[in-house]
Amino acid sequence: MATEHEIYLGYSTDKAVTPFFKQFLESLEKNKLMKGVCPKCKKEYLPPRQYCQKDLTECQLVEFTEREAKLYSFVIVDFAPESMASRAPYVVAIGEFPSGRRLTAHITNLTSEPQVGMKLKLGFERVSDKMVTYKWQV
Amino acid sequence: MTRRVAVVAGGHAKFGKRYDATLRELCAEAYKPIYDAGITQDRIDATVLSYAASQFTGQGAGSALMADSIGLQEKPHLRCESACATGTASIRAAYGMVASGLYDVMLVLGAEQMNRVSSATATEYMSRAGDMRWEYPFGISFPAFYALLASRYMAEYKMPHDVLAKISVKSHHYGAQNPKAHLPKEVTFEEANNAVPIARPLNLYDCSLITDGAAAVVLVAEPRVKEFTDQPMWIKGLGAGASEMMIQDRPSLTSIPGAKRAAAAAYKMAGLQPKDINMAEVHDCFSIAELVAYEDLGFAQPGKGRELIENKEVYHTGRIPVNCDGGLKSKGHPLGATGVSMTYEVMAQMRGKADKPSRQIKNVKYGLVHNVGQSGQFVNVIIYERGWS
Ligand SMILES: CC(C)(COP(=O)(O)OP(=O)(O)OC[C@H]1O[C@@H](n2cnc3c(N)ncnc32)[C@H](O)[C@@H]1OP(=O)(O)O)[C@@H](O)C(=O)NCCC(=O)NCCS
Ligand SMILES: [Zn+2]
Repeated sequence: MATEHEIYLGYSTDKAVTPFFKQFLESLEKNKLMKGVCPKCKKEYLPPRQYCQKDLTECQLVEFTEREAKLYSFVIVDFAPESMASRAPYVVAIGEFPSGRRLTAHITNLTSEPQVGMKLKLGFERVSDKMVTYKWQV
Repeated sequence: MTRRVAVVAGGHAKFGKRYDATLRELCAEAYKPIYDAGITQDRIDATVLSYAASQFTGQGAGSALMADSIGLQEKPHLRCESACATGTASIRAAYGMVASGLYDVMLVLGAEQMNRVSSATATEYMSRAGDMRWEYPFGISFPAFYALLASRYMAEYKMPHDVLAKISVKSHHYGAQNPKAHLPKEVTFEEANNAVPIARPLNLYDCSLITDGAAAVVLVAEPRVKEFTDQPMWIKGLGAGASEMMIQDRPSLTSIPGAKRAAAAAYKMAGLQPKDINMAEVHDCFSIAELVAYEDLGFAQPGKGRELIENKEVYHTGRIPVNCDGGLKSKGHPLGATGVSMTYEVMAQMRGKADKPSRQIKNVKYGLVHNVGQSGQFVNVIIYERGWS
């Protein structure tokens, strides 16, 4: 049996990897963050979704190129869900790009308490051989 | 032709870590007072069973088990689910069926048993209420969703954590006087403000409890209400609202848009305004959620909710008493039972039957229930009216 290229987002290995999501993840492995763009109404989605929420048209994956953002909100997770316990404490942040698009990911290199409004930069990381993620850096 | 609908009776199990009971016993405890009041199974046409998640017990088809536990196995029943707003979603569903004439008398029975698994496992299950593809892989616990609201709120309005601790102190003050409460003990401001962090800026005392419990209410159509009680509590208005699935997609994190929509719909249907409300049971799954509820329900202007707690206006003798039963924080939060328990409490207060004078709210004509599912994906607001003078 041919071994499938197994790949997951973030810090979980939830198995719901569809062909659409896999395409997103394989781009992420190349440090490309893809957004979804609806060819019909031009609405953009970050993170992407396969079908446009408004007209259910299939979206195209297009590279999202903004890298600088501001911290919109954050949480320091001390008591984690069971599957994340070994990583706690970790910081989950919503970053807001100048375009207004937002993205939720960990901030991985903080040395002091996060502050709403602080500058963030988007980065990428191979978490393990099966896991890849986008992340925030200060 | 819609008919008016009243809540005519209720029952409430002891909330807590109930290792002595399963869903069966919890349901029996909640229905027993109703049965004892003469509303026997033969008088009930159908039941809505309210529980949020089967993972906690592993029991599939839980609604059948619940109905069977109280002798309603042969009557029509169905389950309703809207995460933590399941209880009021069930009342809403029953309201529709009774108002429309499908049934005259319905039981809404809510129950949840969450302590069959560890807190870490429960936290795992609840984190799956986030978007499984985009949120869950980053380990956003349930408290973490509300911490995202808290961080933003505290930054936008330059509010210190102290305000949140004051809300917890109030909840425990009233929970300590509620024999049905899960954690009926007073806490000091220092304890509440400096407790162990859970999802910073939220600490242990900002969080509701992982609770086992059950509660039940009976809904009856107007033409038949007199057969059941001379103290009916009318459903005067009810509104439901919803919000984006992913928390990052919300236009604002200092309020819950679905809650504002639900409140607007409920006030409109009731023909009332926030100032007409005499008491509220709000969804304080986290301290920040109670603060935001003051504003979403129109009791305070945006950013000014803190004045209500700082001036003790939300205490039982204040302008708008909130959660004088201990709330989700101290009474506990068995997900599917919570919205039903809130309704039970409004009825108890209206009837002057709060357990102690020290938490009895005077002269309640209009009581409001605000019940939020997940971080606001579903919200129900129900306004009840005292039906006697
Ligand atoms: C915060 C939380 C993780 C704490 O759980 P925990 O650390 O496993 O707590 P335990 O059950 O082991 O209890 C340890 C002690 O803390 C107390 N405790 C637990 N939760 C508490 C809470 N929320 N507030 C105050 N005290 C609490 C217990 O009574 C116990 O005290 P004791 O040692 O004096 O007996 C848990 O209460 C929680 O997840 N709450 C949020 C529930 C939630 O998200 N619900 C859905 C919201 S809509
Ligand atoms: Zn479109």
